[in-house]
Amino acid sequence: MRIGVFICHCGSNIGGTVDCGKVVEIARDYPDVVYADDPMYTCAEPGQAAIEAAVKEHNLDGVVVASCTPRMHEPTFRRTVERAGLNPYMFEMANIREHVSWIGKDKEANTNKAAELVLMAVEKLRYNSPLLPKKFDVTKKVLVIGGGVAGIQAALDCAEGGVPVVMVEREATIGGKMAKLDKTFPTVDCSACILGPKMVDVAQHEKITLHAYSEVVDISGYVGNFTVKIRKKTPYVDWSKCTGCGACTEKCPSRNTPDAFNEFTGKTTAITIAFPQAIPKKAVINAPYCRKLQSGKCGICAKICPTGAVNYEMKDEIITETVGSIVAATGYDLMDWTVYEEYGGGKYPDVITALQFERLLSASGPTGGHILRPSDGKEPRSIVFIQCVGSRDKSVGRPYCSSFCCMYTAKQAVLAKDHLPDSQSYVFYMDIRAAGKLYDEFTRRAMEEYGSQYIRGRVSAIYPDGEGSYIVMGADTLMGEPIEIRADMVVLAVGIEASAGAPQLAEKLRISYDHYGFFMESHVKLKPVETNTAGVFLAGACQGPKDIPASVAQGSAAAAKVLDLFAKDKLESNPQIAHVDIVRCVDCGKCIRCCPFGAIEEVSIRGTNKAQVIETVCQGCGVCVATCPQGAIQLSHSTDNQILAEVNAICQS
Amino acid sequence: MPVLKDKELRIVGFLCNWCSYGGADTAGVARATQPTDLRIIRVPCSGRVDPLFIIKALFEGADGVLVSGCHPRDCHYSVGNYYARRRLEVVKQFLPVLGIDPRRFEYTWVSASEGQRWQQVVTDFTSQIHELGPAPRLEDAEPLLKLADMALSSLHALGTNRNAPLAELKEAIKAKLPELDCVIGWQQGYDQAHATPLFMTTPEDVDKLTWGPLNVMNPAVFLPQFKGKKVGIVVKGCDSRSVVELLQEKLINREDVVIFSMPCEGTLDMGRVNSVLGRYTRIDDIKYDDAAVTITADGKEHRFCMTEFAQGKCYSCVTPGAVIADTRLGQPVPVQPGSVTPPELAMLDAMTLEQRLGFWKGQMDRCLRCYACRNACPMCVCRDFCISDSRNPHWMNQGESPKDKLFFQTIHALHLAGRCTGCGECQRACPVGIPILALRQQIARAIGQLFDDYKSGMDQNAIPPLLTYAPEEKNIHEREWK
Repeated sequence: MRIGVFICHCGSNIGGTVDCGKVVEIARDYPDVVYADDPMYTCAEPGQAAIEAAVKEHNLDGVVVASCTPRMHEPTFRRTVERAGLNPYMFEMANIREHVSWIGKDKEANTNKAAELVLMAVEKLRYNSPLLPKKFDVTKKVLVIGGGVAGIQAALDCAEGGVPVVMVEREATIGGKMAKLDKTFPTVDCSACILGPKMVDVAQHEKITLHAYSEVVDISGYVGNFTVKIRKKTPYVDWSKCTGCGACTEKCPSRNTPDAFNEFTGKTTAITIAFPQAIPKKAVINAPYCRKLQSGKCGICAKICPTGAVNYEMKDEIITETVGSIVAATGYDLMDWTVYEEYGGGKYPDVITALQFERLLSASGPTGGHILRPSDGKEPRSIVFIQCVGSRDKSVGRPYCSSFCCMYTAKQAVLAKDHLPDSQSYVFYMDIRAAGKLYDEFTRRAMEEYGSQYIRGRVSAIYPDGEGSYIVMGADTLMGEPIEIRADMVVLAVGIEASAGAPQLAEKLRISYDHYGFFMESHVKLKPVETNTAGVFLAGACQGPKDIPASVAQGSAAAAKVLDLFAKDKLESNPQIAHVDIVRCVDCGKCIRCCPFGAIEEVSIRGTNKAQVIETVCQGCGVCVATCPQGAIQLSHSTDNQILAEVNAICQS
Repeated sequence: MPVLKDKELRIVGFLCNWCSYGGADTAGVARATQPTDLRIIRVPCSGRVDPLFIIKALFEGADGVLVSGCHPRDCHYSVGNYYARRRLEVVKQFLPVLGIDPRRFEYTWVSASEGQRWQQVVTDFTSQIHELGPAPRLEDAEPLLKLADMALSSLHALGTNRNAPLAELKEAIKAKLPELDCVIGWQQGYDQAHATPLFMTTPEDVDKLTWGPLNVMNPAVFLPQFKGKKVGIVVKGCDSRSVVELLQEKLINREDVVIFSMPCEGTLDMGRVNSVLGRYTRIDDIKYDDAAVTITADGKEHRFCMTEFAQGKCYSCVTPGAVIADTRLGQPVPVQPGSVTPPELAMLDAMTLEQRLGFWKGQMDRCLRCYACRNACPMCVCRDFCISDSRNPHWMNQGESPKDKLFFQTIHALHLAGRCTGCGECQRACPVGIPILALRQQIARAIGQLFDDYKSGMDQNAIPPLLTYAPEEKNIHEREWK
């Protein structure tokens, strides 16, 4: 074999702490290495051209690049060697940046380690063989999980691009958190006016099938052909008959039902339609509060319904959909702020979350758009906003910034002044993060035009003043003195977390999630929409705190990825899959039992039963290889011989 | 490229591509300083890590091995790490019997977002290995050849079973013989003091059948060769477990096998018997009483008491009667509850790690690489495709060193993990008498302790613990990195 080795300096990223020239010298003595060089930037155009040239000039049949992580540029260099006329799998990478130069400054040790990693790559490469992908059919249909603004955008863009969309929404209506907002920053335009038409488009688009009040229960399969099981939760109302007239909600006697849509700021009925612009505009019975379902005595809604849609016997239904790609857009939830004992831990009625305040502002909210104190229904004169409640706070396990609270707090201060011109607002902040188009200008307006008083510092305690209001004690760190403010209402900018059930969904999707339940993108900067599972994309705050413009942008980006995937009629399978050596196979069936994908079957070959891998189903995990005692099943590109070559390179050198 | 002298030790890491390799990348991106000793091998999934890679690395000079995969429930392949967890825990519990400190091997879970955790795992593990120092090498170990006296107690009475109803057994076989191609049992071997397999096809053959403590051989080893034919087999309790295991792995069909069983009171350790007999030219007589066999060779009388001269496996035997049979004869042998550590394993348990390493160095130096152990094993089903003879995959070389020979024993033991019934044929067949069964016994013990007292070869329909998983493992307590 003739191997060429390229040791990348990556500018000073590697060259700073690894003596790349010395690694080249050492590598020249490795078995089968006929060429070695140390380009400054191997991934750049001249670097790639140098690889192509070296392959031709030195008649190389294998290439090793020692540079950054293969999770970043392995595909890049595979294309490079392919352009040079080699099979893309006659290539190996040594990770001497993330695993060497960036984790230590000892140049001698780093250089030595880098040279060893290169040896491992060379030894493995000597056992590589050319691999060719297989083609398989793709189901050109996408599942969008979550009907918030990110999911809506992804669904509409996919549908407009000609791809049928299945949208699953956990709640009875799409719209997500944005539907609960009164106005949006920095333009202060009506949230319902900009989201509403998009929701209607979802309902009316011929390519979109909406399953509201539904949840994904199981996902199997792989890119191009996922099989998804969806539970349609029973609303106890036949939606094919329900016209959304609302007659039932008017007559329902169970008027003390907690109103989740209004963030529990008001009460609703047991049979309800979340809000006037709900999509689908269909009634749902909240079973624990329904007198008929709980005690069997009532049935008023069934009697009143002009279309006979109410059906107390209705059961959950499981449906199955086959899709080629999945967009996860499950959004966020608020963290449980009641851990903050100093803010009352939830026991003061007028200490509310910003999302509750948003419902008070909304004309369709429980107060009809008037800011009224939950305790006594009076207008507050003095409103204190506290930012970073559960953001950037390690003491409650939330070290991250929730990203959009600075902006909505400014917006709410502006709106408070609009609604109650005589009121005064105070904002306790840590830092103002207004890095966005027109954002800083907006916070300035809140302070300068609307007179909101911004106080840099944290609040240490809130307690009732005995006269129906509250004393907010804090520190003004700019003035360097304690401060006390009498407040009629306190609004907490509660930090966000991944929505409930996100980790469980991630497990079904086989994607990673971080400590906080946010889904992991494939690469923080370069693949922010992709996940590590091919065909699964992310949109919106499920990936991390994001405001509306960013969520919409990512929704469109996810749609672009789906359309890109579906632009081909057939997908190429990863050729790094398992193969059975039928001579060695004794048909003991251990591999068949272990395969997580059911990708191995028993077939009769000339009268003898043998294991056989279904190539388009195998995902290349290699569990079977470690199970087979005979070594009869081998994973291409991770064969026993290849891993042994690496082990030996480390241990025997 | 040797590791930097006095500065680094050899640490091999196997990281799954999706989570832990990404976690190591995340640590790098965050410039999280780490020791430089670790060399990472990227594998698709922790489930790809054959436990033999770990042993191979440790035998070839690694001072530590670390495997890291996705967190349970978060596997890119759904369940690969669940399989890995079971295999890796078994191998961790297996290492000490080889004389390897189990702290030299750790496995853990690190997600792609956990750069900090990765930094901590690498730092902690590296310092753990530095505290242990360079791994003692088998090559450098002081050979330990002296075998300690085995402590001998058993769970059932050991005897010669001279009152077993052999005549009835013969009648039963004769009655079935017309339906069968062959019945496997034992007959007298080259002299009265040795037995050899008997393949009965005629009633005259059946008359040659013998029963007693000389019937050491496990006839189940022949069954897979007869697959598709109707075969009868006479079994001791231990042999029946091999039959069950073969059935479980579908290497034989139940409807093709007719099992005749008689309870067994123990078999002789022929290695020790032969060494007592020494060189002789003639067996004059052999007599049985309830407790012993008396062999007269060249006029000299030797009494072999069963409580003293039984095979090691007989002392820990819990199945003197067959676990599966079509025709059962004789009275069941009562078994006390509880467990007895087989003497070979008890001997190793009593040693220090260093002594065990020396023990295997000394013992494996005597190994001839004849592979009699493999050929006698009823569960060694690869036959002509044993990876010890293979260049592709190339696990073994043909070296003469104790290390290579011990590695073969390790391969055999790990390939039998959860499958070995402890019949002991490997050890009995060893012409130089190396107590290799202890390696298999240690794995069986670990598997029993980890997986609800699982014993292989007891239930044809049981799922072997290494071929399945549980999302929450009752008895596997993973190490925390704090």
